[in-house]
Amino acid sequence: MKLVHVLSEALRAMLANPLRTMLTMLGIIIGIASVVLMLAVGDGIKAFIDKQLSVLGSNLVIVQADSRKAVGARLRTGTVQTITLDDAEAINRLPSVKGAAPMLTTYSQISYGNDNTNTQVQGTTPTSFVIRNLRLAKGIGLSEVDVASATRVAVLGKKVAEQLFYKNDPIGQTIRIDNQSFQVIGVLDNEGQSFDSGDIGEVVMVPISTARVTLVRTATPRSVQYVVVQSKTTEGLNDMVADIKDLMRDRHRIRADDVDDFRVVNFGEFAKTGEAIATGLSIALGFIGAVSLVVGGIGIMNIMLVSVTERTREIGIRMAIGARPSDVLWQFLIEAVAICVVSGIIGVALSAGVASAVSSTGKFEMMIGLKAVVIAVVFSCVVGVFFGFYPARRASKLQPVECLRYE
Amino acid sequence: MNVSIASSRAEGALVEITDVRKSYFSNRVETPVLHGINLHMQRGDFMAVMGQSGSGKSTLMNILGCLDTPTSGTYRLAGVDVEKQSRAELATLRNRTIGFVFQSFNLLKRMTILDNVALPLIYAGVSRKASRDRAQTQLDKVGLGELANRQPNQLSGGQQQRVAIARALVADPPLILADEPTGNLDTRTSNDIMALLNELNRERGQSIILVTHEPDIAAHAKRLVRLKDGLVLYDGPATEGLRQLKTDDSIATIAEAAL
Ligand SMILES: Nc1ncnc2c1ncn2[C@@H]1O[C@H](COP(=O)(O)OP(=O)(O)OP(=O)(O)O)[C@@H](O)[C@H]1O
Ligand SMILES: [Mg+2]
Repeated sequence: MKLVHVLSEALRAMLANPLRTMLTMLGIIIGIASVVLMLAVGDGIKAFIDKQLSVLGSNLVIVQADSRKAVGARLRTGTVQTITLDDAEAINRLPSVKGAAPMLTTYSQISYGNDNTNTQVQGTTPTSFVIRNLRLAKGIGLSEVDVASATRVAVLGKKVAEQLFYKNDPIGQTIRIDNQSFQVIGVLDNEGQSFDSGDIGEVVMVPISTARVTLVRTATPRSVQYVVVQSKTTEGLNDMVADIKDLMRDRHRIRADDVDDFRVVNFGEFAKTGEAIATGLSIALGFIGAVSLVVGGIGIMNIMLVSVTERTREIGIRMAIGARPSDVLWQFLIEAVAICVVSGIIGVALSAGVASAVSSTGKFEMMIGLKAVVIAVVFSCVVGVFFGFYPARRASKLQPVECLRYE
Repeated sequence: MNVSIASSRAEGALVEITDVRKSYFSNRVETPVLHGINLHMQRGDFMAVMGQSGSGKSTLMNILGCLDTPTSGTYRLAGVDVEKQSRAELATLRNRTIGFVFQSFNLLKRMTILDNVALPLIYAGVSRKASRDRAQTQLDKVGLGELANRQPNQLSGGQQQRVAIARALVADPPLILADEPTGNLDTRTSNDIMALLNELNRERGQSIILVTHEPDIAAHAKRLVRLKDGLVLYDGPATEGLRQLKTDDSIATIAEAAL
């Protein structure tokens, strides 16, 4: 018997009792929708984390002073230990380090003409652009010369540039930061959240030397707030953290039994935690999906058993005119699978609706990928075969003479 | 395929049953129904089976139709030893060798007349298109070509039985088995159906075995088999058999009157 024929028979059987078919499909629809949404949520969170990582750059750690720990141990000697430019340079020389950028940050009022805004200003070095994946939409970035001679130049985040200049070209214009003039030399292209400064679009970057002179008062002439460090490789990240700790303890002359006076914050770990949460959420949704698929599958099995009983006479007639047991088995199995696959398709449509509703809020991007659709169809087929097999086998084992006697 | 089976076996008997016994078992209690039936039938024969209710006619027909198996005895159908066949092989054997006509028509609901008639061909592996074409031709032959797209419940009983006959014939099987095909029809419609079967037997040499309670219907057949309590009481020409039947009945009436 041809597949087309079996499929049209399945369709006919489904349409014979549309309400019952619809109610039967509900469990599978919900199950498939949750499985697809599970994948979409998981993918969404992973994409979100990846996007964050690409904004802040990967394999980054921050080295900063740990004042909590420094207090008891160090204040006695009268020196407040901070991280210095020399620390940053020493870290930069470590073989496992790709680059280390010292940072001085502050909140300042930025103005151009009559427009002004309050935002974060970061004093930093050109290295910062490289290790944090910063790209320029316009103009040029900070240079070593700018840092060496403390020039009054600034690179604007995308949103800051829009706020102050609308559609006009900011390059070469003079803005005021805390009432001191700076020339705009570049505009950043990056968007999204950054680990140390909130929205990267709302940041203004200036040479660290200029920041020290004009904007930020520091404890010593060489101290910095923190250093952003990137390792050469992902695998080498943990070794690099160990190297930095050894180096810093050595430079800060910390005795073996004393605690660190600095902290190394590993952002890769945060990303890992985020991914672990995403995985946990996926597992929870997957569990809900699996439970509804099983419940739905049992519903299918139940209806198929009812259907086999109701159609006993039909089975007898078919067998009398030449249907082999395998033909009967296929007929009922394909019917169960067809119910599941149609449910699967409706489930995917339902989850696509939910996903686009969630995405339209703008808070979280949910995408139903081809992978999800394929998995949904495969899952629904598996459920159909698994729960449809027993009723179908039962139908195929019926004796023709008994079926024909059945009223 | 049908044609090759039919022609290659043409020399042998179509139906050979030897000492067939059948008992039903319910709650381990044996109810013997057929007590040793012997029947041979050549191609082209038209046999009527008569007997009182409960004499085992339907039981015999089910065995002949390979729908049920005898408790003992042998059955060769078109040269094939039926007992040795698997369930799947039996299905194929039924599909190619037998056309069924039932008392209650047994058309499939929610399916057009055309699809009903085409179904045996679908199970034989014929393509959808070809099956439908042949089904349409067969429907035309029984005079219902116009109604091809109706559903069975939109037809009269007589029309439904014609459709059933078209379905029985569509795969061109050597044997038609009809268990009380006119049992649910009035006399006029019954005569139409019998005329159709008669024509098939005369013009195409179609072999037919038909169960009936009515001597008028049995009179269309060439040969009569009378069953009584699971044994063959008479097996011979229909005319002679029906005359004996009449005599037996009048004796029974007289005996009854005498009591
Ligand atoms: N499935 C069954 N289980 C047990 N006994 C059965 C079964 N089918 C038939 N019988 C018994 O077998 C006997 C013969 O039944 P069968 O149906 O062959 O009679 P019949 O000659 O066709 O009768 P009718 O003319 O009424 O159709 C009856 O006594 C009946 O009760
Ligand atoms: Mg009967």
